[in-house]
Amino acid sequence: MKCTQIKERFPDFLIGEIDEITRKEIQEHVTLCDSCREELESLSAIWAKLGVLPEEQPSNKVRRRFYAMLEKYKQTLKQEKSRPHLGKLLDGWLERWALRRPVFQFSFAFLLLVVGLAAGYFLQTSWQRNGEINLLRQEVHQIRQIAAVSLLRQESLSEQLRGIGWSSRVEQPDEATLAALLSTVESETDINLRLDAIDALLLFRDYPMVRQELVQSISEHTSPLVEIALTLARNVNHL
Amino acid sequence: MNKATDNHLMEQVRNGNVEKLAILFERYQVMLYNFFLRLTGNRSISEDLVQDVFIRLLKYRSSYQGQNKFIIWLYKIARNTHIDYLRKRKDQVSLSKQWDEAASQEPSPSEKMEQAQEIARINQALAKLPLKKREVLILSRFQHLKYEEIAELFGCHIGTVKVLVHRAIKELGKAYFVLSGGMAS
Repeated sequence: MKCTQIKERFPDFLIGEIDEITRKEIQEHVTLCDSCREELESLSAIWAKLGVLPEEQPSNKVRRRFYAMLEKYKQTLKQEKSRPHLGKLLDGWLERWALRRPVFQFSFAFLLLVVGLAAGYFLQTSWQRNGEINLLRQEVHQIRQIAAVSLLRQESLSEQLRGIGWSSRVEQPDEATLAALLSTVESETDINLRLDAIDALLLFRDYPMVRQELVQSISEHTSPLVEIALTLARNVNHL
Repeated sequence: MNKATDNHLMEQVRNGNVEKLAILFERYQVMLYNFFLRLTGNRSISEDLVQDVFIRLLKYRSSYQGQNKFIIWLYKIARNTHIDYLRKRKDQVSLSKQWDEAASQEPSPSEKMEQAQEIARINQALAKLPLKKREVLILSRFQHLKYEEIAELFGCHIGTVKVLVHRAIKELGKAYFVLSGGMAS
């Protein structure tokens, strides 16, 4: 064997996990090879030196704590056995009532579905009778209109833009909202605001007041962009 | 020591006869204590870790599979317990320092001064090794595990274990030499 192969077997040699033939081979090699002999000697020396470390005994505290822990664990196990788990109880109940068979499971699921639908239907009708939802809807609608009008009257451009946004979310605008939008188209100096207002008015083109104003105002505007937008609005109106 | 009986006992523990754990405790508490003592260098911590191992044996008893060697499973739990301890330890006191303290605080009256110094030196040299090399040396030299068993425990090839042992002894030799007043080569 070569030196590298011999050295690879050193850990086996130290632990004694080695057959007699290999042991002899190693011993013969190290008598001839100084480098391998030195290495084996130093490894064996430190391996033997480790033997000075005595085996110590743990204190009796370890045993005491272990038995206390084991006793406590046994008590917990006993308690668990005497107090059946909720899941197990339910399991036993289902077993007794034969609800584990698929036919019963389907019927039970169907029954639950019917009960759920019926409950939903009754709840819905009772709410409608109260008319609370409708009342709330109306209030929200009014609030949107108030918000739109007041924002359109603001000085700030961004507030006015928000006002146009709010007005376009109103489903049935009143005259004040429409008038505020029309006045933005008429008198506002910022072109972008006017174009946005025209866009919002397009949503309400079926209102006679809007239709009339759109037609009238087309001749009064000097801005080509606004005129184009108004022409387009009129055309949409005719469709 | 009958390994088959260990497996049988642990299977009984797994199946609810937890009383049988006491037999395994009596068989392995000293071995585990010494394993931890050489790893941590601290007697009190080693005792706590032994307790932790047996708590874990109960906690994970249902995961025990009889076909595995009990001793390998036990050492796996012991290694994890030690690693968790290292993670939790906030005040990172170096092992060699701990051994210094242990040697000065708890000298055995029966030991001669010279031998006590030699023991302290070997322990300090051991403490200078990286964890895996220290483990492999302790397991093969003191816990008398075969290389094959260590390979199974570490989840690596047996050749890797032998290389680790070889290097660990060499490193230990160097560290010991330095501690004895020599110069590292």
